[in-house]
Formats: sequence, structure tokens, C-alpha cells
Amino acid sequence: MAVTTNLTWWQKKILQNHFGEKRLSLLYKASVHTFSRHHLLGRCSNQGPTITVIYGDNCVTGVYVQESYQEQEEISSVIIFALKETKILEYKIRSYDSLLFGSQFMSRNDDFCINLHNQKLSIPSDVRKKLRLPQDHISIQECEVFRCEDLLDERNIKKIIELRNCLLSDLKAYKPYGDLIQEIRILLLGPTGAGKSSFFNSVKSIYQGYVTHQALVGTDTAGISQKYRTYSIREKKDGNALPFILCDSMGLGENEGGLCMNDIVNILKGHIPDRYENNSLKPITSNHPNYIDSPLLKDRIHCVAFVFDANSIEHLSEEMVAKIKRTRREVIKCGVMHIALLTHVDTMNLITKGDLIDIYRCMPVKIKLNQVNRKLGFALSDILVVSNYTSEWSLDPVKDVLILSALRQMLWTADDFLEDLPLQ
Amino acid sequence: MEVTTRLTWNEERSLQKLLGNVSLTLLYKSTVHGCSTEDADQRCTDQGSILIMIYLSDAIFGVFMLGNYPKLNNSGKPNSSFCFSLTEKNNIIETSFLKVNFVPKISGKEPVIFSLDSDTFSIVPDKSTHNIQFNLKEKLRVANSSRATYLECEIFRVEGIMVDPSYIPRIMRVTPHRNKLLSELRAYKPHADMVSKIRILLLGPVGSGKSSFFNSVKSIFQGHVTRQAIVGSDSTSITEQYRTYSVKDGKYGTFLPFVLCDSMGLDETEGEGLCMDDIPHILRGHVPDRYQFNPHKPITPKHPNFITSPSLKDRIHCVAYVLDINSINNLSSKMVAKLKQVHKEVLNCGLAHVALLTKVSNCNEVLQDSFLNMNTSMTSQSQIMNVHSMLDIPISNILMVKNYASREELDSLQDILILSALRQMLRVADNFLEDLPLEEIGNLSPFCSS
Ligand SMILES: Nc1nc2c(ncn2[C@@H]2O[C@H](COP(=O)(O)OP(=O)(O)OP(=O)(O)O)[C@@H](O)[C@H]2O)c(=O)[nH]1
Ligand SMILES: Nc1nc2c(ncn2[C@@H]2O[C@H](COP(=O)(O)OP(=O)(O)OP(=O)(O)O)[C@@H](O)[C@H]2O)c(=O)[nH]1
Ligand SMILES: [Mg+2]
Ligand SMILES: [Mg+2]
Repeated sequence: MAVTTNLTWWQKKILQNHFGEKRLSLLYKASVHTFSRHHLLGRCSNQGPTITVIYGDNCVTGVYVQESYQEQEEISSVIIFALKETKILEYKIRSYDSLLFGSQFMSRNDDFCINLHNQKLSIPSDVRKKLRLPQDHISIQECEVFRCEDLLDERNIKKIIELRNCLLSDLKAYKPYGDLIQEIRILLLGPTGAGKSSFFNSVKSIYQGYVTHQALVGTDTAGISQKYRTYSIREKKDGNALPFILCDSMGLGENEGGLCMNDIVNILKGHIPDRYENNSLKPITSNHPNYIDSPLLKDRIHCVAFVFDANSIEHLSEEMVAKIKRTRREVIKCGVMHIALLTHVDTMNLITKGDLIDIYRCMPVKIKLNQVNRKLGFALSDILVVSNYTSEWSLDPVKDVLILSALRQMLWTADDFLEDLPLQ
Repeated sequence: MEVTTRLTWNEERSLQKLLGNVSLTLLYKSTVHGCSTEDADQRCTDQGSILIMIYLSDAIFGVFMLGNYPKLNNSGKPNSSFCFSLTEKNNIIETSFLKVNFVPKISGKEPVIFSLDSDTFSIVPDKSTHNIQFNLKEKLRVANSSRATYLECEIFRVEGIMVDPSYIPRIMRVTPHRNKLLSELRAYKPHADMVSKIRILLLGPVGSGKSSFFNSVKSIFQGHVTRQAIVGSDSTSITEQYRTYSVKDGKYGTFLPFVLCDSMGLDETEGEGLCMDDIPHILRGHVPDRYQFNPHKPITPKHPNFITSPSLKDRIHCVAYVLDINSINNLSSKMVAKLKQVHKEVLNCGLAHVALLTKVSNCNEVLQDSFLNMNTSMTSQSQIMNVHSMLDIPISNILMVKNYASREELDSLQDILILSALRQMLRVADNFLEDLPLEEIGNLSPFCSS
């Protein structure tokens, strides 16, 4: 019989989040390892903080114990919890001087007592009321014990910092394919409020060493950014320009609002200058004083990032979806490669900071990527996620890794574009 | 003391990869849980497959036991087991492993946690010492000078594997087999040097994974996932240009002996997708790279880049019908009719052809344990039978792959499917070349050298 938990992914996630970003390692499962206090302690003593989960007929409850289980069983404080649909109710007991795992002779009526041998759980009535459990005595169908480890433990933090430094040096050393150009131009395109300007700010912040807000961000249905801006970034230490330029554009709006298709094509081809004020209704013409008449390869866009707020995907109007698909067609027609960038992952339901370490394996994110794939048609391999710097003061290596990985992916995509160019 | 593993993040990742995308749960750590045989035993029995890691000051080695951890003083033994070592060189973790036919013994009286073949390899937990026979040491690349005492012993439960005796031989064979296929493809030369590169045309419904197949092949030879061809999904084909892609062996390597030709998807609606009248032109080699398809009208000789007199090397040598395995049983009658019509044209030209079924969900099920043939449970599936009867393609030429379609790392088993498919395409193309009537070669390529 396999030693795997009965908890669903969601139940496990709610537990992990509730007790502070823990990773849970299953050590003991009563139906496999026998319903016995002796066997439970044999496997679970000296393991540090643990969560014991008890499955009743129609409820899931359990205890969180900060100290290691020991043979002597003197535990000073425990948290009793009940797992409800979407949340956890808890009951803290400060000094817990009696037996948690009673034997059949020793359990007292007014204690919270797990009697594995008889497969009975008794709950004091005040606890039962607070946790809204059905009965004082629950017959135990299954019992599982997990060790709790910090998701952001020393080993993971060390790895993240290593990864961050590795990404930084990769990006610094990056040279566009075939030395065809000096700098890669990445165009950020997407609905208003998607987080385009914030992505630039985030990248800039990393290289600045602290969080900056050079580009104006905010929420306004009419869109905050009205001008087309091309930002190059210098490394703070040696003042050298990095090999990429982030091009922040006006958001795509509903109906006729926002950046118009004509301007998008002109941006892609490199006709539109920095600081050009876009007008939704009047696309740029070649008469404009700053119109770039014959753009070179270096003036063109080499990679397009379609930026979306991860939480907005369900709410995108059909019109917006059609607009995005049309835009993508134009991008493909111009021979430019693209990726999709989802921002705001930090505010997705159930996602915590610890999840950002391995975000692509996180169930809600996987579901989100599939949604983007189905609704907008971006290939799963082309969808990246980040959490931008918005309200914080200082940098966080976990966020840096996501942002820098996305950036590196954009440069690789630009390389694919350059490699794919016809020889002349 | 905290119960966390000594393995670094990278080491853990390469272990997970070595064992085939498994997850590891630390159950026992000698420095926390005590060194005796019983200490390990009470935590690790009845947990399923087990991984034991021994940390020396200059090496790490491990033993994997499929099925279960042997019970104390009991003859119960795992289904199969092997030992391996992890070494790090220039930040790259290398694993070398070998199967040892051994009967692990855990004995409480002599304090030996287990031993292989009585004296090849044993651990004495109470003293934290180990003993490995000299030639085993060599194979595991453990320095001979390594001290007998180890720093730590950790035991993990391994989740996410099939408990099947073929499991270990399979994971040990996968990388060598992949590398063998790679070198075979590198060394491949078209029959009698009639052409220098085999041209393979990818044809199929919109969104079936044609462009992704090219990307996947390229990724394998590049060593990391790349995507030169734009992929995605929309109501009409994402690919609107005819593209003939050569693939380099490594970033700065030479070109490989095949060209993958990516086309616009076939659409069941008239006036959408690849124009049927373009197909004969493509097959005969008239259509240039980057030709912008027009669903409404085919290319004409007036097109500025029209290849007027294509030689054998410009022609298509093998056609691959690319189909999403999950959609085969629900193809509309219009699509089936279209495919049959295309196939007629292909047969007319006498071209080699295969079917390439994409979006396979479980790579593990496709091939036999030897990786040399497809599993009969796979080849007897209704999808395969369907393609077989629809296009009269021999079952051995109905190939199955899982393209690199999400943000994953390269995977040896996935590579094996893709490379085997490619090899089969080259083999059928060879038969086609061999079978060409001599006059046709002459007619086609008056200037064809070599
Ligand atoms: N929590 C969170 N908030 C974000 C993130 N990215 C952007 N925001 C917030 O979302 C709002 C819109 O961000 P902007 O960067 O102005 O969006 P934009 O795409 O430039 O919008 P326009 O210029 O109006 O088209 C701001 O309030 C940001 O602070 C993110 O990753 N996480
Ligand atoms: N899961 C999975 N997805 C795949 C596979 N192959 C392709 N895809 C996905 O299917 C979608 C279509 O793939 P493409 O390679 O663009 O298909 P195509 O045949 O070139 O399509 P058109 O050019 O539009 O005719 C993309 O989202 C791919 O990521 C596969 O083997 N497995
Ligand atoms: Mg903005
Ligand atoms: Mg395509």
C-alpha cells in the first residue's frame, strides 16, 4: 500500500499556508503503519514541528505541535484545528499537561485525546463548539503525521541567491545572436493596468539595488501610460548599459480605446520615437516630425511580451480577447517572436511568498496557465509569471529570480528571432 | 536539530531526474535520529521504495531499493536495487550508477544496516563506517583514499515511480539509448549520397503540433528548450509561411542531414488553412522558404521566388502527417476527406510517408522496456488503428511523440520518442531514394552533383 496522503492538494495547501508557509512531509499513515501510539512515535519522534491529521467520518481535524514528539509525550502547547472547506478553525491550548495520545486505560473524558488503538478521538465540548465539529467522540478512519519544514529554509534561500547571481551574470554577459545588434528591444504590450510599467520598474529596481518607481504606475481605466517610452538600464556598479531596452507602451483598451493597431505595427517596425504621445484615434503618420523613416534592425522590436494581470484572465472581454489575437497576428506577420507575461501572481488565491520559489509547479498557477492557453491561445511554453515590485521598499531575491528569469527568456526569444531572420 | 537533508538543491534535483521525476521525503537522518540499525528500521520499513544516501567527506553515494526497505532480521527483500554516486565537477553534478545484483541484509546482531553480496558493500551504522570493495569504488568514482567513516546517513521515501521489476533497467538504459540515437542521427547519410539532406514535410490539421515538433527536435540538438517556430492556438493556423528549417548540431555545430519543412495547418473549412493546390507544388519542390501562403489561391510560376526546375534535393522526400493523438477519433469527415486527398497526392508522387501522433500524455507507456519497439498496448489503441485504416500506413510507421510544449527541462525519455520518430522518417526516406527509378533521378536533377 502506498504511503500517500488522503489530503487533497487544496486541503494540504490550506494547512501549509495556515501554519506559516510550511512544507509537509508525510512520516506516518495509520492504515499502513498500524493504528498504534508506539508505531506513530517510533516514526515521528524527534522530527521537529509536526501536524497530525485525523480523518473522521465527516470531518478532518488534527493538532499542530511545535515541539518534537518524544516518547515521554510532555508537550507544552498544541493547536487543535478543524479543516473546513476553505479555511481552518483553531483552538490554542497553552499548557497542555496531559496525554495527547492516550492509551485505552488512560484517557480522561475532558481531554482532547487521540486513542489510536481504539480508533477514537475525544474532544472536550468547548473545543468541539469552537471548531464546529459534529460530535465529542469521533471514530478515527485514518491518521497521518507530517513533519513541517520552512519553505524558505536556509537551503532554499541559499539556492535562490545563487540563482539570482547566476541570472545577473548571465544577463550581463548576454550578447545578441550573431552580434547583429547591441541591444534587444523588448516591447511590453497589454491591457491597461496589466503591469507593463511596473515590470519595467521592477527590472530597473533590481539593477538599482532598491525599489524605484521611474515609470508612473497606477489604476485608471483610461490608462496611466500615455507615451511610448523606451528605457535602457545601466548597471549601478560600473555604469554600463545592459544589453536590452524595455519599451513601455500605452495599454490596450476596450473598443477603440488605448493603443491602436496602426501604432502597434509602427512600433514593431521601429518607426515610433521615444516619448511619442499615442493617440487612440489618430495613428502616427510619416509626416510626424520625429517619425523614424527608415528604421534599421536595431530600431525594430525583437521580442514582444504580452502582459496580463493574472487575476484578470477570467474577466477579459471577448472584444479584448479578439483584440489580443489580432495583435498577435500582426506581431507574427512582422516576423517578431512573442511570449506572454502574467503579473500579480502574488495576489492569486492561496499563493504565498514561499510558492514563488517553484511557482510553475503550483497548482493554481498551472490552472491559470491552462486558462491563458485556452482563452488566448498562447502556448504553455510561452507563458511566464512574475510578481512585480509595487508597494515594498526593499528587494527580495525570490522576486528577483522570477523577474530576471522572465527577462532572460525574453532575450532568448529575441535570439530566436535574430536567428530566424532571412540572410539579407 | 532540524531535520533537513544535507543534499544541496542541485543534488536533489539531479537525483529526482536520475530516478525519473520522483519526489523524495526524508524519513531518517542519522545525526538526529540515532545511529543504530533499529533507529533507521523503525522509521523506514513499510514506506515503499527507499533511497539511502551516505555522505563521505569527499563523495556522496546512495542505494536505491525498489518496493520496500528490507525488514530487520528478515529475508524480505526489495524487488530490485542499485547503487550510484554523485560527484560534482564545475558545478555540474554527475551521477554514475550501476546495478548490483545483491540481496540486502539488515541484521541487528552484527550492527550492519545492510550489505551487498556479503562483502562488496556494507555499512556499520553504530560506528558510522562503510566498506566498499575496490572495484566497486572505481565504478562509483569514490576516491580510494576516502575514509571509512561517513558523516551522515539519510534515508528517503521515493514517491512517483512504478513498482515494477523493469523500472530499474529502464531508467538505467534511458540516457545511453538517447545518446545512441543522437549519434546515429548525426552519422546518418542519405542513401547512396543521392542528396545531402532529407527533406521532411510536416503536414496536418491546424494546431496539431507541426511547428512544435520542429522546435522539439531543435531543442534536443541545442541542449536546451528553444522555439524558433512560433506556436500557439487560434481558430486559424498560426503558421502562415512555408518554412524549411535546417537544424544545427549544437549552437556552433554543423548542419544535420535533414530539413524539417513546416507548413500551414489544414482546415476543414474551405478557403481556410493550407490551400490543397499548394501541396503538389510543395511536394515537387517548387515552393521557396518563407513563402506566404494564401488559403484562397495556390502559388503560381509567376511568383518571384518560384523554384522552376527543382532538383531531387529540393523535393520532399518524406511526408509526416502530424495528428494530435487525442483528436484522431473525432476528426470531422471533411478533415478525413482532406487528409485522404492529400495522401492520394503523396502516393502519386511516390513519396515516403509516416504518421506522427503528438500530445501523447504518458511517455512511459509508448515504448517497450528495451526502447527498441513500441508497446503492443499502444499500437493496438483505437487511435492507431484509425490512422492505419484511414491512410493505409503500416503500424510501424505510426509514430508517437510528446513535444516540448510547456516550460519543462529536456527529458531523456521524451527525447527518445522524438529521436526515434525522426530516425524512422529518415529510414523510410532512404527506402524512397533507393526505390527511385534511375530515369527520374536524371530527369529531375540534371545538375545534381553527388
Ligand atoms: N500585487 C501586484 N500588483 C501589481 C503587479 N504589477 C502591477 N501591479 C499594480 O497594478 C497596477 C497597474 O500597474 P501598471 O504598471 O501601471 O500597469 P500598466 O500596464 O503600465 O498600465 P497602463 O499604463 O495604464 O496601461 C498598479 O497599481 C501596480 O501597482 C504585481 O505583480 N503584483
Ligand atoms: N501537451 C502537448 N501540447 C502540444 C504538443 N505539441 C504541440 N502542443 C501544443 O499545441 C498547440 C499547437 O501547436 P503548434 O506546434 O503551434 O501546432 P501547428 O501544427 O504548428 O499549428 P498551426 O501552425 O496553427 O497549424 C501549442 O499550444 C503547443 O504548445 C504535445 O506534444 N503535447
Ligand atoms: Mg503603464
Ligand atoms: Mg505551426
